[in-house]
Amino acid sequence: MNARLDSFSYDDDIVRKFLWATMIWGLVGMLFGLIVALQLTMPELNFAPYWTFGRLRPLHTNAVIFAFAGNAFFCGAYYSTQRLLKTRMWSDGLSKVHFWGWQAIIVAAAITLPLGFTQSKEYAELEWPIDIAIAVVWVAFAVNYFVTLTKRRERHIYVAIWFYIASIITVALLHIFNNLSVPAGAFKSYSIYAGVQDAFMQWWYGHNAVAFFLTTPFLGLMYYFMPKAADRPVFSYKLSILHFWSLVFLYIWAGPHHLHYTALPDWASTLGMLFSVMLWMPSWGGMVNGLLTLRGAWHKVTEDPILKFFVVAVTAYGMSTFEGPMLSIKSVNALAHYTDWIIAHVHTGALGWNGFLTFGMVYWLAPRLFQTEMFSKKLMEWHFWLATFGILLYVVAIYSAGATQGLMWRAFDETGRLQYPDFVETVMRLMPMYWVRVIGGTLYITGMLIGIYNLYKTWATRPATYEVPVVQAAPLNPVYAADHAPATGGFWTRFTDMGWHRRWEGMPLFFSVMTAVAVIVASLFEIIPTFLIKSNVPTLASVKPYTPLELAGRNIYQREGCFNCHSQMIRPLMYETERYGDYSKPGESVYEHPFLWGSRRIGPDLARLGGKYPDLWHVRHMYRPREVVQQSIMPAYPHLQTKVIDFVAIQKSVDAMAMIGVPYGDAVNKAPEMARAQAAQVAASVEAAGGPAGLADKEIVALTAYLQRLGRDLKNATAGTGAQPATAPPAKAAVPAAPGGSH
Amino acid sequence: MADNDKLLDHAYDGIQEFDNPLPTWWKWIFYATILVVPIYYWDPMGIGVGPGKEKAYKQQMAAFNAAHPKTAGAYTDDQIAAFAGDPAKVEAGKAVYTRHCVACHRPDGGGQIGPNLTDDFWIHGGRPTEIMKTVVEGVLAKGMPPWGKMLKSDEVEGVVGYVQTLHGTNPANPKAPEGAKYPADSAAAPAATPQTKGM
Repeated sequence: MNARLDSFSYDDDIVRKFLWATMIWGLVGMLFGLIVALQLTMPELNFAPYWTFGRLRPLHTNAVIFAFAGNAFFCGAYYSTQRLLKTRMWSDGLSKVHFWGWQAIIVAAAITLPLGFTQSKEYAELEWPIDIAIAVVWVAFAVNYFVTLTKRRERHIYVAIWFYIASIITVALLHIFNNLSVPAGAFKSYSIYAGVQDAFMQWWYGHNAVAFFLTTPFLGLMYYFMPKAADRPVFSYKLSILHFWSLVFLYIWAGPHHLHYTALPDWASTLGMLFSVMLWMPSWGGMVNGLLTLRGAWHKVTEDPILKFFVVAVTAYGMSTFEGPMLSIKSVNALAHYTDWIIAHVHTGALGWNGFLTFGMVYWLAPRLFQTEMFSKKLMEWHFWLATFGILLYVVAIYSAGATQGLMWRAFDETGRLQYPDFVETVMRLMPMYWVRVIGGTLYITGMLIGIYNLYKTWATRPATYEVPVVQAAPLNPVYAADHAPATGGFWTRFTDMGWHRRWEGMPLFFSVMTAVAVIVASLFEIIPTFLIKSNVPTLASVKPYTPLELAGRNIYQREGCFNCHSQMIRPLMYETERYGDYSKPGESVYEHPFLWGSRRIGPDLARLGGKYPDLWHVRHMYRPREVVQQSIMPAYPHLQTKVIDFVAIQKSVDAMAMIGVPYGDAVNKAPEMARAQAAQVAASVEAAGGPAGLADKEIVALTAYLQRLGRDLKNATAGTGAQPATAPPAKAAVPAAPGGSH
Repeated sequence: MADNDKLLDHAYDGIQEFDNPLPTWWKWIFYATILVVPIYYWDPMGIGVGPGKEKAYKQQMAAFNAAHPKTAGAYTDDQIAAFAGDPAKVEAGKAVYTRHCVACHRPDGGGQIGPNLTDDFWIHGGRPTEIMKTVVEGVLAKGMPPWGKMLKSDEVEGVVGYVQTLHGTNPANPKAPEGAKYPADSAAAPAATPQTKGM
């Protein structure tokens, strides 16, 4: 040991900033959750263009994930990292850049999403300028973090730091590679990937956003704040090691389980499932280490609301990480996919795990950061119980909704017909459960408001100036000295002794490289075959690029967030093809930049919508959905009948698509003319059918043209000259028999 | 009892760790989930990887179609025409009509997106069996969905019965006639055999 001691202090100012940001954005994100939940029960609460479900739902998810959970991670990471490494953050300036940059990104998201700027990839909706800003801010955070690691005064890095490192590295990778796109304007871009590949990349990203933004950072927080709050040692160091590495390596593979039964090749889907199943125990390692850390401290749980929050958080984590592997099993997924089951699953995770861990952490931090007593323990208890009942109401209702709708979709009656062929009937059945969700969400938000009030009152009694304690620690000895006697014996003994890992913990940069290798190798095992194996996506000669007008319509479809409620991916399952037509083929998506397969059917699938209804039907339906489909909960989009198509921008869209390899031919030079000509045709058909006149330059015409195109390429190919579009097996077209003469 | 566990001799900001082994159940379940991989590919009793989603789908469809043979019995014009005279059927048919048809054909059948159902003119034929066929199979090119997929057969019978009762009701502002005239005397003599082929 060195005789000389360094004197230094921690930067708690940045932690206080992140703490407030966590709570304020958390409230905003949850309020938007409540708003979109209400919109599903009362479609009149949609006010086009800026205030519709399709535009606000991404605002809710982004705010909760990146603003609430993100700021919570940063808050806890800045607090714990400095103390675990016995050093101040390397650069206060970069910490500030991180804080203010992140908040600016959130504000930009809150403005651009209601404006309809979206890449339409879930949790990666933000358009390219904001994506670049995210990358820059993240790099600032990473640089600050890794330099701080080298400045540490603690030889070994604690398990919390491992999880932070894995999060920082992997999120950067995921973000950059999923968001590669070609701009077609200041706030419009097209993913460089198409169809199957884009879907794969998106769910590689999407699933690992759950892993490395909502799981590993919070495991890191758990490993610091839970033993602190319980004042108990961590249950098992060996378990930490094993579950960290297995989690980091296995998680990366699991993404394709979001695409079971889609046009993604079977092998990828199977890998996604098997790795998800193997992920069960690595995930539970965190739960076990968390709950068993409380051994000998359970009596404290009854008295301490902070520990209560932690216990429920870890339990919710255990439930959702059991459910995740279960949902990844193909046959279970066939029922749950596209339903509210998935919504319930993520809310167990988000409200229970992320929310409660954050609240426990914030309440533990508040008196320390504000250097005063917590204003009210009673209000903490109120927060806990309101939020707990809120979660219960929410998830029980939404699990029921998911199972109900999934079972209704697949039900056949005794004559071999779909029992509920009318989609809207399966939606109406969910309404009582949707109302229970609204009540549950309201309880949760009420708890949040109480929490913010309690924190505010605590903050109000802070000292005039914060005391900045001076800490002393010896600098790091440049020569590595092992703190455990190295194990002797055979390879296996030495391996299980984990002395080698102890050494890794003394070399954080090496440790980081190994973590990066684990996630990159696992990724490449799936990414390379997905892109290189030709048979993954058999080409279909009949599939042609969208016309310029249809492409403009597709832009509108993206802008209005239609993909939030409508899938475009019919699975090869009997009840799906009965309802929607032939299942979707990989080759149909080759020009889909980005893919728009969707993940939830609040409305019906649209993959074979083209030609199902006349043009006028779409015009009227968009204008006032409930005049056409009684009980529909779709928002009305009247502005599409007045808003003029930006014909000049169509050229930019076509050019961007051409740049990423879509064979546009002539349209590269004359997209606006082609679009005008087609628009005139569609408008004429609408007028001839008795619809409104003068729509030839209005957005509704572009959207209609797009919707009428969906699924047509394959129909045209299989129908040949056909007067009979071959969506159904011919046997189904027979005149219905009088069943058994009983009628 | 927890305090009998062996503490490791390091601490981070006061946090200590026990040197506990991995819980046995945890370890064995982890091994078991790894064992799922070979078993899944081995596919004993078809619980594993199976033939792939497309083949499996074709097998399911074949089995389903075998279990639900489409009995070939069709309706005669007489049978369908009689639905219009069955008040229970017409009442049920009206409910179906209100739910599904009014958006295009108007509540009074006068036509809007879809054609007028009250006049003597029919685009796809006005014989009862032809009306039934149009309802069941739809006319995709014109936007008429195949309701045979959506409705049960008694609902189809009802709505076809109800549509026949709309004939001659003369609503206000009807859509202009479209298609070919079906003999005006057809309502009186529903037992029409193919007598007016060209018309």
